[in-house]
Amino acid sequence: MKQLTIISGKGGTGKTTVASNFIKLARDHVAVDCDVDAANLHILLDPDIKKKEEFIGGAVAGVTGECINCGKCEEACRFGAISDSETDIKIDTLKCEGCGVCEYICPVDAIELKTEGQGYCYISESKFCTLVHARLNPGAENSGMLVAKVRNDAEDIANKYNKKVLIIDGAPGIGCPVIASLNGVDYTLIVTEPTISGISDFVKAFELTKFFDIKTFVCINKYDLNLDNTDKISNFCDKNKIELIGKVPYDDKVPAYLSNKKFVIDDSESKAGKEIIAMWEAFSGYLYSS
Amino acid sequence: MELDLEWEQEVGSKLIVSIASGKGGTGKTTIAVNLALSVGYCQFMDYDVEAPNASFFLKPDIKHVKKVTIKHPYFLKETGADFSKCAEFCHYNSVVAVGSEVVFFPELCHGCGGCLLVGPERAVREKDITIGEIKKGSAKPMIDFFMGNLKPGYMRTISIQSELDKSLERSELVLIDCPPGNSCPMVFAVKDSDYCILVTEPTPYGLNDLLISIEVLKNMNIPYGVIINRDGIGNDEVEKHCIRNNIKILLKIPNDRGIAESYSRGETLIEYDESWKTKFKGMISEIEGVVKR
Repeated sequence: MKQLTIISGKGGTGKTTVASNFIKLARDHVAVDCDVDAANLHILLDPDIKKKEEFIGGAVAGVTGECINCGKCEEACRFGAISDSETDIKIDTLKCEGCGVCEYICPVDAIELKTEGQGYCYISESKFCTLVHARLNPGAENSGMLVAKVRNDAEDIANKYNKKVLIIDGAPGIGCPVIASLNGVDYTLIVTEPTISGISDFVKAFELTKFFDIKTFVCINKYDLNLDNTDKISNFCDKNKIELIGKVPYDDKVPAYLSNKKFVIDDSESKAGKEIIAMWEAFSGYLYSS
Repeated sequence: MELDLEWEQEVGSKLIVSIASGKGGTGKTTIAVNLALSVGYCQFMDYDVEAPNASFFLKPDIKHVKKVTIKHPYFLKETGADFSKCAEFCHYNSVVAVGSEVVFFPELCHGCGGCLLVGPERAVREKDITIGEIKKGSAKPMIDFFMGNLKPGYMRTISIQSELDKSLERSELVLIDCPPGNSCPMVFAVKDSDYCILVTEPTPYGLNDLLISIEVLKNMNIPYGVIINRDGIGNDEVEKHCIRNNIKILLKIPNDRGIAESYSRGETLIEYDESWKTKFKGMISEIEGVVKR
């Protein structure tokens, strides 16, 4: 089984558009949405949910016993999550990392780590393939853990039904959900755009894939928006031996296709669609070779 | 750019206004930067530490750079000490140990210091690891600029944001450029806000992610309004939803290839078309009215 994760650094460069069109073109595959706090792959794939499972996230600390206000936990917490109040302590669950140091250090066992449901995992069937996706509760933590869970479920399905390829739509940025979506994959595609922000975030995303030693490809979306910047990206790719696998032209109609639940590749007139098809054909060589 | 003194006195606003968006790439930074330049006098904080971009548009003069470090353990195997307690304690599975044989996975470590606490005495030590940096400076006309930058390979987004928090001062209008999404880094960035501007685009993706962001803000009791960027692409479902649910639409920015091209070069909307300045100023006054009510 080969795994391809699509990331971008900067948000809104077209990850999900590329991913959903690839999913329509692929065979023997499972689709995976790892952007768990703003998942969008289901919108175009329009699948039927077959299985829903609650996701229990990592723990956070809470005061459950009689606090003697000794201050030891506040001193030991490296994340600044504990502060004093008049009679006991306050734990800021946003800052708490669930490390368990406070629970360990408390002399009167007044602190306990607790887990709770932080979202849902779904296994769904679309016209094209199985889609494994999730919904993190709004504002919840542990998106990286949920991404790992979604990927595990997808791998299980792929193994069970002898699927050859996993197409994984990642999250923006370079933080924990992105790292969890890259862990152990064969290839990654960075979708970027020829803007100053796009370039800066692309370079950071590339440093990340280099850090994890993953074979990296690049697609410049809306490449004709700024040809100087497109040249800069392409020179960077040359210098760092990254394969520039596609350049997709600016196409104002792409959002309209989306609004009508249509795929850009289905419009034989669309240059953007043609480029995505060509890019997929190039990828197929990597993904389906044994 | 001239500073409008009357405006400054009139606003003298000490509000914290964050600019967020569930979906990435809808124009958070564009809005934040243009608001800052229109008002002219504010504290600007780029909390999108994984992909910080505001500096390309505000072009600040950076005066201080501070490294952000966390502590990682190292294990003195030659002591022959038993490290299995460290492995048992670690909630992130970053330590695997059988007796004095120990393997450490730095990318999983949060730097909590637990292994030092429970491990064999004097056999576990710590060293500083740089996970990113904080930059402080000033941009024209009178903007105090702060940004964080996470180093690729570290999952410590919140640690960098926490460091930025220390510079947050309510002495003037504070604008916070948030990271995309609806999980902890976004929540952390908006948590102190008096008001949150949600930027979206009129597509099914934009609407889907906007609805999640609204839930987050409702749970946190933060008032909000919506900006529809690239108006004219996609459909009108976002606008319909806002009208039906009495959600304030603060501004609509039309889809315009010229704006996209000027953005690609690092130019701002008000450089492209100065008439936006009045609209952005008006928006801050409007937000102030809502918060003080």
